Amino acid sequence: MRLLTKLKSLVAAAAVVAASVAQAEEPVRIGYSMSLTGLFAQAAPSQVNAFELWKDKVNAAGGLDVAGTKRPVEFVTYDDQSNPANAVRIYEKLIAEDKVDLLAAPWSTPIHLALAPILSRHKFPMVGNTAASVQLREIAPGYIWFPTAVIPDRVGEELAAFMKSKDIKSAAILSNVLPLSQEIKSFLVPALEKHGISISVNENYPPDIKDMTTLLTQVNETAPDAVIVLSYPADSFLFAAQAKELGIKAPFVLSLIGATFGSYQQALGESVNNMVTVGHWSPNQADWPKAKPFFEAYKAKYNEAPDALDSVLAYMSLEILEQAVAKAGLDKEKIREAVSTMTFDTINGPVKFEGVQNSVTPTSFLQIQDGSLELVWPDSVKTKDFRPKTGW
Amino acid sequence: MKTLSIDLVAGIVLLAAALVLPLTGMDYLVGIAFNLAMWVALTQSWSILSAMTGYVSLGHVVFCGIGAYMVALTTGSLPLAASLGFAGLAAGVSALVIGLPVLRVRGPYFVILTFGLAELVKNVIVQIETGLGQFSRLIFDAPPLNSLYLVMLGLAVAVTVAAVFVRHSKLGRGLIAIRENEEAAEAIGVPVIRLKLIAFVAAAIIPGIVGGVMLLRTSYFEAAQAFDPVISFSIVTMAIVGGSGSARGPILGAFAFVLLSELLWARFPQLYMIILGILLILFILFVPRGLSGLLDRKEARQ
Repeated sequence: MRLLTKLKSLVAAAAVVAASVAQAEEPVRIGYSMSLTGLFAQAAPSQVNAFELWKDKVNAAGGLDVAGTKRPVEFVTYDDQSNPANAVRIYEKLIAEDKVDLLAAPWSTPIHLALAPILSRHKFPMVGNTAASVQLREIAPGYIWFPTAVIPDRVGEELAAFMKSKDIKSAAILSNVLPLSQEIKSFLVPALEKHGISISVNENYPPDIKDMTTLLTQVNETAPDAVIVLSYPADSFLFAAQAKELGIKAPFVLSLIGATFGSYQQALGESVNNMVTVGHWSPNQADWPKAKPFFEAYKAKYNEAPDALDSVLAYMSLEILEQAVAKAGLDKEKIREAVSTMTFDTINGPVKFEGVQNSVTPTSFLQIQDGSLELVWPDSVKTKDFRPKTGW
Repeated sequence: MKTLSIDLVAGIVLLAAALVLPLTGMDYLVGIAFNLAMWVALTQSWSILSAMTGYVSLGHVVFCGIGAYMVALTTGSLPLAASLGFAGLAAGVSALVIGLPVLRVRGPYFVILTFGLAELVKNVIVQIETGLGQFSRLIFDAPPLNSLYLVMLGLAVAVTVAAVFVRHSKLGRGLIAIRENEEAAEAIGVPVIRLKLIAFVAAAIIPGIVGGVMLLRTSYFEAAQAFDPVISFSIVTMAIVGGSGSARGPILGAFAFVLLSELLWARFPQLYMIILGILLILFILFVPRGLSGLLDRKEARQ
């Protein structure tokens, strides 16, 4: 009984403290859902970590600048189990029930696409991040924007041009059957043909592939100059390990998603040196003064490098929101206006939207060079020259 | 007779409440009710075949997926109602084709075969989509939530009425005879193969349409998601929790499951699947006849 009274007084005291804090400055509540469980669960940390890092930074600086008033930030989050239908319900809950002030984006293209109609219906702006598909352009511009430069048609064309400039004559393409890989392939194949690069192997494989030996043997038999693996994270790791065993000799090797993860280099070490991958950010680009500090802060907090794709896009999406809110406050229409028209200063350099798309950041390629991710294409942003892959 | 009239009154009250709900303008509640209606429709349709004959299907999602794919293909070129009708038709025809070979095996073989077939159809559609150069499809101008909700509610009511009807019909008695002893049923002249096939096809049409409506709700089609095996598992779970002795079982099961997960996922996002798993085990161990069985017992005592 006495314990109960003690507990009660404790709770009361806590409530008083909480109330006084709340009186000082009402927090800005930002809602998002994340694929904490299910198919995409392994991708969630790279995005959540970036969100948390941003929140820490903003709160340490006295809070979020809401058109002149600083207010602390807090997140309201749910698990969507990697299921777009759940995410739709969650964002409806965030908007209608929890009445959050702002929204941050979930993980993956399907969930972004599924949310677009909800955002329009509730007239609630949200800056997207980890979505990449030509279908994004089919969404009516309005309440969602995509800072990514990994749009498959551009990736296909730029990759072919990049390969041509490195004197690649033949290429083997191995592709996961998941949407992003297939979309990129559908633009890459004609672009390669246009540049006169022959395709020696062109094979698809299932998402849960456990052994690539047969595919890689087939690649070795044709000895191409380039091996393009349009992979998702799990098969990126598998490919690198088996390519080493079977001694893939091509000087140009690209792996699609996963090579930018901190754990990729930790797990595979030296063998993935000079691996090319898709991405538009490097901490070493001196023209982007915020890039290096972000990298350092992330590494200090989580003891691993940020994912050059997802962590960066997640962080950028909140930087964009932050700068829009500083100007527009929390009024939804004013935020929409601000995001649509302003030019933002992010860790990935300047960003400006035309319709739903980022019109500034160029489609680029990264290469792992001695433990560091360097931009190697195009020339306008490159931090290092491309180096041929000489071994595993 | 008394139980039936209580059920009837409860059903009418529930339906009235469901019909008034959209007028409140609370999208979030309508969203939950949409889900409820969806699971009632799916579980009820599943129980027409599986609970009545004892042929437990772990691949019921295949009909949702086929329906969703049909709507994804035809929306825009056909009026929506025709598109949904087409979804139901396609699911029914597939059930006919699938059913002929599948319904010849029993017990665990049937369970595995239905699961495998659902995965097979999923992968075939993934390949077709890849071959067509389509990687996912966006649906534009989907009707608003309130209209979709009313359609889903209509489906739930329709399949519930059908389930009650089947249970009290000659077909239903034949199906129960199959469950109790298929050889004996056949020996006394029950046309087992025909009855099973009729039940299989009847159980497939509604999920086909449900799949189409689900697609309109998320407005995004991707084969892996439309054929998500978790949907099949959830259906079986709800049937177990609700009990499958009567048509009210699937309704109780869907209510318990949807409301519980609604309460849990918001409060315990990390623990919620674990809690659901424990509850399921407890139900199988201690309430094997489900919520509906519990109610029966209570009524019998009175």
